[in-house]
Amino acid sequence: MKSLFSILLFSVVFIVGAQNKTFQSGEKLVFTASYNMSGLMTDIAQVSMEANNVKTKSGTLLHLKCAATTYKKWDNFFKVRDLYESFVNPKTVTPYLYKREISEGGYYKYVKYNFKHKSKTVKSLIRKKSKNFESGFWDRNNTIKINSGTRDIVSTIYYLRTLDIKKAPVGASDTFTVLFDNKETKFSFTYVKKETINTAIGRKECYKLKIGVANNVLKGSNSNFLWLTADENKIPVFAKFKVAIGNGELKIKSATGLKN
Amino acid sequence: MKKLFIILGLITGALAVVLSVLPTFKIAFIPAALSFIFGLLAFWKSKKESASKHTVQLIFLFSITALSLATYKTIFETNEVGDIEQLEKREEESLENSIEELDEELEDIDIEE
Repeated sequence: MKSLFSILLFSVVFIVGAQNKTFQSGEKLVFTASYNMSGLMTDIAQVSMEANNVKTKSGTLLHLKCAATTYKKWDNFFKVRDLYESFVNPKTVTPYLYKREISEGGYYKYVKYNFKHKSKTVKSLIRKKSKNFESGFWDRNNTIKINSGTRDIVSTIYYLRTLDIKKAPVGASDTFTVLFDNKETKFSFTYVKKETINTAIGRKECYKLKIGVANNVLKGSNSNFLWLTADENKIPVFAKFKVAIGNGELKIKSATGLKN
Repeated sequence: MKKLFIILGLITGALAVVLSVLPTFKIAFIPAALSFIFGLLAFWKSKKESASKHTVQLIFLFSITALSLATYKTIFETNEVGDIEQLEKREEESLENSIEELDEELEDIDIEE
């Protein structure tokens, strides 16, 4: 009975509690992305996550930007220059505009979502390179119906940090709906335990979360984890993931401009 | 048997040297170690049969070169991000376009809500 009450309380916290007191404009997190090659983790790219204020006529939004860049030694083999952006409400982390522009080994894709929360729709644009069109690009426009609470991948990661995990019992979980490639995909996060790990920014006590994805983008039921610092900032410091092409890790390298 | 060890030693040694030069130098430790082991086995066989050891010396040369290069790179090589000028330009353009778009799209929305 007690555990059922705790799970209900945790769910209420997830639904109601998330006002952003965790990150602010000026925060910058830098990570090293590694990929498992024949059993050895090899550093392949730098990933950075930044938050900055952006003034619009309707008010100030938070511009959340994630960029992935392969290290110089890999550029001749497989050059990656990815940019993910989300423009969100600074308090509720509700997205209004999402952009994803990827350039990976010659492959290019551009995705833009304009969120219309009142009508629960998203105006989507997907652009790819094509020789069949004069502009050199093939544009696909759609209007997608979404459920309330659906976010893009960037705002979901930042939104997760606003949740009051310290009140959650071990085993509690919640599901978030993420719009990716024009499809709503459910991501579940389960609180596994508190764990102290060594990171480049010091020894940190962290919340260990297990990540589950409905459509098997991430493989395995016990192979994808995220560690967030167990403080008011809840910085992601370490992540382990398993995808179709193998498994990898994301390790924090530096964290500046923290709110708390 | 000696010929087998020599062939395997040469193949793994050559592979190790190639891998140690590429960005995948961390994987080079495995074939370099295997090459060294095959070299030792070939050396032992050669000693027993009092045969020439020139090829065995070549195997050791490959494996030691690969191991040295891979070790040096593991200790001293730092990760540097490549050219990001184009990415920065894309970021600036994207931000400008985004602000214009948001000004149009969010006309009837109050962000403070």
